[in-house]
Amino acid sequence: MANNNGIVLKMDNITKTFPGVIALDDVSIELYKGEVLGILGENGAGKSTLIKILAGNYIKDSGSIFVDGQKFEIKNPSEAMASGIRVIYQELNSLNNLTVAENIFVGEQLVKSPFKIVDWKAMNKRAAEILNELNVDLDPNAIIGDLSISEKQVVEIAKAISKEAKILVMDEPTAALSEEETQSLFKIINTLKTKGVSIIYISHRLKEIFEITDRVVILRDGKKVGLRKTVETDANELVTLMVGRDIKEMYPKREVLIGETVLEVKNLNAEGFNDISFNLRKGEILGIFGLLGSGRTALVKALFGANKIHSGEIIINGKKANIKSPKIARDEKIGLVPLDRKVEGLALHLGVKENVTLANIEDLGKGFLINKKLEKIKAGKWVKEMGIKTPTLEQEVNSLSGGNQQKVVLAKWLESGSKIIILNEPTRGIDVGAKIEIYKLMQNLCEEGSAVIMISSELPEILSIADRILVMSKGRITAQYSRTEATEEKLLQSACI
Amino acid sequence: MPEIKASSMEPGKKAKISNTGILFIVLVVLFALFSYVGRPFFFSVLNLIPMLNNLSFIGIIAAVLTMVMVTGEIDFSIGGNIGLTACLAAFLLSKGLPGWLVVVIALFGGAVMGAFNGFLATVVGVNSMIATIGTMFIWRGIGYTLSNGESMLAINPVIDFIGRGFIFKVIPFPIVIFIIIFALTYVVMNLSKWGRSIYAIGTNPMASYLSGINVKKVKFINFLLCGITASLGGLILTSLSAVGMPQHGQGLELVIISGIVLGGTALGGGKGQILGTLAGTLILSLLYNFLTIMNVYYYYIQIVQGAVLVLVVATYEIRQSRALKRV
Repeated sequence: MANNNGIVLKMDNITKTFPGVIALDDVSIELYKGEVLGILGENGAGKSTLIKILAGNYIKDSGSIFVDGQKFEIKNPSEAMASGIRVIYQELNSLNNLTVAENIFVGEQLVKSPFKIVDWKAMNKRAAEILNELNVDLDPNAIIGDLSISEKQVVEIAKAISKEAKILVMDEPTAALSEEETQSLFKIINTLKTKGVSIIYISHRLKEIFEITDRVVILRDGKKVGLRKTVETDANELVTLMVGRDIKEMYPKREVLIGETVLEVKNLNAEGFNDISFNLRKGEILGIFGLLGSGRTALVKALFGANKIHSGEIIINGKKANIKSPKIARDEKIGLVPLDRKVEGLALHLGVKENVTLANIEDLGKGFLINKKLEKIKAGKWVKEMGIKTPTLEQEVNSLSGGNQQKVVLAKWLESGSKIIILNEPTRGIDVGAKIEIYKLMQNLCEEGSAVIMISSELPEILSIADRILVMSKGRITAQYSRTEATEEKLLQSACI
Repeated sequence: MPEIKASSMEPGKKAKISNTGILFIVLVVLFALFSYVGRPFFFSVLNLIPMLNNLSFIGIIAAVLTMVMVTGEIDFSIGGNIGLTACLAAFLLSKGLPGWLVVVIALFGGAVMGAFNGFLATVVGVNSMIATIGTMFIWRGIGYTLSNGESMLAINPVIDFIGRGFIFKVIPFPIVIFIIIFALTYVVMNLSKWGRSIYAIGTNPMASYLSGINVKKVKFINFLLCGITASLGGLILTSLSAVGMPQHGQGLELVIISGIVLGGTALGGGKGQILGTLAGTLILSLLYNFLTIMNVYYYYIQIVQGAVLVLVVATYEIRQSRALKRV
């Protein structure tokens, strides 16, 4: 090998902006042959944007990319693939009704002459060889839909290396994996390393960064804030770089007097979770932690009336509530700040004022018509109170930054008078400054007598902000910790039961 | 502060002329041009009044169908509804029912047809394009059955008045209906809570549902209103032609939807203005009327109408993708 230890990939001064945000600001990285380069950063730091540019899903605004020393303009995903770049996304793109072998060779099935019919035998054989190289035991004929998430991931890796991958990018690959599965993934990564594949490993879990990476790049708010050899750094340094400030300042926590029980959930069963019981008290922030697929989102959707409840009781302020629809949930003064604000939270092409009043159109005036003056007063009040940065009340929310969009979603529920606010990953995809503001807003709500349920997979966040933490795994609550008891290890352990 | 337009806001830029604005300019230019080229007949009462009468029943349906389409649904059964309504009205008249009762029953029939579409689209959850293509055939089939496939005379003072009556002796009654329905739908869409829900649903049905808006109810009622309006259109057409026959309204769904789309309503929902629909419908009618009185061969007229639609919609797409690129 001629350029062993040579630079396989160089991304120079990459900048990318979206309406209202600079997602990447002059970021440069270098990737050596056969190394694992970690990219560390909080949600919204720009990790995904960087990868999407490399994969040809986004076009950079400026900067240049070199593959094997050759300057390379990546204009679409197939060009990226042609140069040996493979990305395994967090949400796997498997074709669930096809077999393992078909998934590995999708788009490039092995064929035999004279009519170019699919050569099943050759395909299954080659698939078995590739899986063998990875030291995994999977039947090439198995249907993808029947596999576990970690097995699907292995198939994605097999698919990537079947086409001569030089650079393999893994975006939060362990988000849905148990500890054991994570270890077998690391074995595969090490196998690939010895074969000379370079790997970009994206994560915000420090433990993994130390375990698997050779070097680590730290991003914050779209900027590269550090590059360290993994052996030469420690967790403290990385966290400080990642959040850019003191932990206490990052997660402001005020003690709020916790009052009477406002929500009681008894033996709740629905699609995605079983036998869930817990309660929530006035002034409290209840954290729910769990891996992808643990049933967290299904639980809050059921509480909010968006998913059907099979059995069990929900008691609000001592009265049994029959929450059959989000409308009823809203009338019970429950608000949901959903996981994906763009899909579930906002009417993106309407203005700020339309969105702030979306859950409470009825109160926009007496009778049939909207009182436009009243609407402006209401929306203006929340924009001011929550510090939503927008040029006008008419501005399309699409063009606001993630943090301001999230505030609009929250304002919507405050406008409709919600007293129980459920936030699903509230700080996902927003910058550090906006995160702190969201934490403060949550605590203001508690001080004003509301109660908050916060789902989060960001360990430092949930450990610092929640008064009490429930851990979910496979649709059940596996543990409950008070803020003083909870540690990173305990939460992860309970999440993998 | 300028009023927000739900459709054509382009963030961070100077307010440009909206698509609807352009359509009205085109409309005025076409009208002037046609009046000149087609003089003296085009700009005469003898031409304009029948044209407006024809426009009226197309226009009222287009206005209400715009509401349906902004929520992201569609109703193809309007033409079938017109055919069935025409036959039903003529049939009931032939049985000696009083005119006012025939009108009430016909409109009620329209409500039933609209409610059935709404039921299929919201409760059952069938894609409304497929569902209403189905019901289009059903309505027309019932019309054929009821009339035995023949034209039936529909003459009665009340029915006559709907299409051929005058208010204050000069304003044709269909024009009055046209103006009232456009004014009402404009108020609903631009000023009312109902209209706000419609735009919210069209922009993001999931977020609207998760904000406590009863998405199915809003869609259902829009279908219901569309059914009633289509049968009102059917009554006007019956009155104008003085016969009820099952072929009434055949192919009209495409003409009406073309006008709406020409006016800037997106098939995917969320976008659309009542004034845009007004302009789009007017432009298509003017064009058709002008080409007809210029004795252009009917086959060519169809080509022109189709080409105009494709051209305008392509222009929208280009304008929109340019606007996106600038962001």
